Amino acid sequence: MKLSRRLFLAGSTAAIATPAFLRHGLAQSSPIKIGSLIPLSGGGAPYGPEKNKAHKAVVELVNAAGGVLGRKIELITDNTETNPEAAVRAARKMIDADQVSAIIGTWASSVTLGIMPLCQEANVVQLFTGSSDFLPDGDKKRLCFNLQPLNAAWCVALAGLAAKRGFLKVGFAGPKNDFAASMGASFGKSLKEVGGEIVGEPLYYNPTQVSYRAEAEKLIASKAPALFLAGYVTDFTALYRELIRGGYTGKIFALSFAVGPDFKKAVGAAGNGILHGSPVPPVGKDTYDAYLRLVGLQPNGQILAPYGCAAYDEINLLLLGMASAKSTDARAVADHIMKVANGPGDRVTTFAEGAKLIAAGKPINYDGASSSADFLPNGMLKSRDFALYEIQDGNDVPLLTISSNAE
Amino acid sequence: MESYLIAILTVAGIYMIMALALNLQFGLTGLINFGVVGFYGLGAYTSGIATEIFHAPFIAGLICAIAVGAVAGAVVSLLSLRLSGDFLAIVTLGFAETIRLVFNNEDWLTGGPRGFLIATRQVFDGLGRSGAALMVLVIVAVAALAIFLLMQRLAKTPYGRVLRSIREDDLVPSTLGKNIFVYRLQAFVIGSAIMAGAGSLYAHYVQTITPDNFTTPVAILVWMSVIVGGAGNMVGTVVGSLAVVALYEGSRFLAPWLTFLDAEQVSALRFIVIGSALILIIRFRPEGLLPEKHQRPAEAAPPNLSSKGSSL
Repeated sequence: MKLSRRLFLAGSTAAIATPAFLRHGLAQSSPIKIGSLIPLSGGGAPYGPEKNKAHKAVVELVNAAGGVLGRKIELITDNTETNPEAAVRAARKMIDADQVSAIIGTWASSVTLGIMPLCQEANVVQLFTGSSDFLPDGDKKRLCFNLQPLNAAWCVALAGLAAKRGFLKVGFAGPKNDFAASMGASFGKSLKEVGGEIVGEPLYYNPTQVSYRAEAEKLIASKAPALFLAGYVTDFTALYRELIRGGYTGKIFALSFAVGPDFKKAVGAAGNGILHGSPVPPVGKDTYDAYLRLVGLQPNGQILAPYGCAAYDEINLLLLGMASAKSTDARAVADHIMKVANGPGDRVTTFAEGAKLIAAGKPINYDGASSSADFLPNGMLKSRDFALYEIQDGNDVPLLTISSNAE
Repeated sequence: MESYLIAILTVAGIYMIMALALNLQFGLTGLINFGVVGFYGLGAYTSGIATEIFHAPFIAGLICAIAVGAVAGAVVSLLSLRLSGDFLAIVTLGFAETIRLVFNNEDWLTGGPRGFLIATRQVFDGLGRSGAALMVLVIVAVAALAIFLLMQRLAKTPYGRVLRSIREDDLVPSTLGKNIFVYRLQAFVIGSAIMAGAGSLYAHYVQTITPDNFTTPVAILVWMSVIVGGAGNMVGTVVGSLAVVALYEGSRFLAPWLTFLDAEQVSALRFIVIGSALILIIRFRPEGLLPEKHQRPAEAAPPNLSSKGSSL
């Protein structure tokens, strides 16, 4: 056969075009990639594994039932090291090398904010847990969803408790980080709304100090009848010790994760009387129990895996959003996550239930394991249960559980 | 995948610039600077503040960063250069931590822990996502090449020879009338200014900087680049920084083959692999992958046997 110019042109065109056809064909059956970017070392290390386990469990369940849009889900896991610099490099790999459709699971607000410009630029949906009030600012394209209430919501509950106990003048101290900085501002505002005020300037300290004597002296000198210390367990314990040693006798308000078993063991009876609170999973709710059983935990009426249940909602919402949008395009997925989360529609609690109704063309409303998973227009959580406790005889005694609204 | 490689090469280029600067300070002159991130962060924030608050163009931000880096380098070295190596190491470590705390606490200027957003980029708008990324890589690569050529030149000149002799034994050059203090000061200031310049390139590349971006692990990466590559050898530093970044990033791609391990174990294993590789390199190539060439004195002319001169 003689190679004519026409044959050569037709042949080479076909040859050049082949990869494009192949790519098209492959795209229909290639897996949908999702990044599970969680803290496995650094400050968030205690919470990363439970988040990843929840993502994995749901993905396995969904894949066993045939996947989403007829495609399998592939979960790509990486470590944020609870550090924005390392997280940006990991996110780069997920976005550019793996080409993920979404990145879920980031924990520290600084990490979530750090990778946000990348995700926005590449049109990647983000679902995460974070409480810095600055989180909505970077989300110009409305691709972010937060499963944790913002600080503003926590503070409404704590300020309400303070006012109820007759403490209208409260001092504030916290580590100098993103979390506590926005907490101080929100707490002042919430306290003002119930007729109180912060005594003096909010005090921010460097959380890796060896001694907190100077901070404690300053707080005692402010003569505040009550103090709200928004610290983590290590710095809170050290600061609390210095306060007691210095003879402080006022009321202490704290965050529940700072006064866990480690703290109680360290200070013993001196910890009695502390009031504390935090967002909690809805203990005893069917969805929460279903999540616990899925990851192999037994519901026992206690708070287990407080971030894992939020991760369960992250992955379920994302996959339902994709199923509902019938696409993995970021804009469509984000719009449909809003739709399936807020309803109106039939209540669903798992991907399988939701996918069945979506296939039948019915609207759905996802009810989550960590909360009812309803979002404000800016993607931040509308409300979540918030529990308040008092330490009595070394045990947490629940005072009340309220749903605190972010609005 | 191409855009990932571009991103990683950009980061590697920025580390390379810092490693070359550290090689001038440590490799040639023997000054132990553990405060690499201090100068790096100072450059990043200076450049960001210049472009965002004072609306200067990127180039002006870069120049400000280099100038501030040089001044900071001079201040730190004037405080401690007369002291011996160990003291300088401690002072620079303290300097880096102090700088980080200033970034964290002066919210009115730096945005504090929530970070500083930078809208100005090194490149023109309208290049698209991949075009802009490629342009940034080109700018970083050109900067790295320029710094490499400058350092290579410095190392080969008589000036570089004085620096090396100060590293080996500062008594010898001082007996030859060299002002050791001025040479050390110059090496430290040039290095610090370059590190601050790298910070500026980084800040406008990532566009969000927080105090957490400038912690000691970054300084350790830069130190590893110099040690692995071969202290004193500029080509070695280039190879070292590429090798260290390749090791750090390449180990991420091990995960798909390790499905029998859970996420925590994979991430721990990654650090074990990185650590072991570095230990092996140091064990078997203690002077680095490309050791510094030993400078031998020029061969003495053969003794002149005939007193009447050459017998040509």
